[in-house]
Amino acid sequence: MRAAALKIGATALTVATTMLSALYVTSHLKNPAAPLQPTVLRSSSGSTVAGPGGTLTLGPSVQPSDVQPVTSTYAS
Amino acid sequence: MPRSAPLAAHHFEALGTTCSLFAVGLAPDRLLEGELWTRRMGERLTRFSPDSELSHFNASAGRWVEVSPELEALLRESLHAYELSGGLVNVAVLPSMTAIGYTTSLSAGRSVATLAEMRPAPALPDVLETKGGAARLEPGAGIDLGGIAKGWMADRLRESLGPNAVANLGGDLSAGGVGPDGAGWPIGLAGVTVLLRDRSAATSSVRRRRWGELHHLIDPRTGAPARTGLDEVSVIAASGVEAETIAKTALLLGPEVAPVYCAAFALAWWLSP
Repeated sequence: MRAAALKIGATALTVATTMLSALYVTSHLKNPAAPLQPTVLRSSSGSTVAGPGGTLTLGPSVQPSDVQPVTSTYAS
Repeated sequence: MPRSAPLAAHHFEALGTTCSLFAVGLAPDRLLEGELWTRRMGERLTRFSPDSELSHFNASAGRWVEVSPELEALLRESLHAYELSGGLVNVAVLPSMTAIGYTTSLSAGRSVATLAEMRPAPALPDVLETKGGAARLEPGAGIDLGGIAKGWMADRLRESLGPNAVANLGGDLSAGGVGPDGAGWPIGLAGVTVLLRDRSAATSSVRRRRWGELHHLIDPRTGAPARTGLDEVSVIAASGVEAETIAKTALLLGPEVAPVYCAAFALAWWLSP
């Protein structure tokens, strides 16, 4: 008698937990329209300049400047 | 940002080329120490002197020998460069270098070329092994560290010069910190100035170190001087060794594939046919 009561109680607890979990999940659906956090910045795709001597491509992380260079990369 | 400390510069001839060191807020004697370190490393890593550590290593092919931490690091970088380049950057091209007569520094002239001895380079991992302070070359193999050594040395030199410095070893350069004005180091790349912070640059070319129809840039697939349709490639990348590796690989890949390769691995690149 006591064993049967324990089985019935355990079954009822399992069913209740399952139902509550399902209710919780369905009421907390992920919103696909939610904004990304932190905000993702739009990145530049870089630039390519073709000249008579060749083609120069600068990726988005390399910034050109008007400053006189202190030194250069070159063939040696 | 206004300049808050003086910019020190030092120029000297070493490694068969012109070298320049720059640093913000560093005493000039520290730059002189950089020159001395460059000369010491050059003497240890040159293949033109029979007494250098590299020459001793090449002469000991077939057996395990102790190597310095610096040479071991360079050999490991060479193996990494081989992988990054799909085998196109292969320091085991010494037999072909010898065959084309490039056996002494350019200032000392060249010996007679024996072109029949040019041959494709072996796969580097098949002929070079390293482990804990020792390394081994297969018999018949030979190593020429070339630009890999200059790129690696530029990175080490820049690190030793403090947080805001540039080391330029004949075009293989490493720039660390925010530069003299706080916006990055202004560096020339194919006639354009770019601002670099903690980045490196290198140029691979067949326009220099050439004589007649021959030049120093060996295509390991053939063992002969490369002819790919590209004569010069400059690259910006995360480290000196990477920049050197990517530039040489792009040049060897030729004008059709190089743009795709550079887009995958480089931060900026100049391709000149």
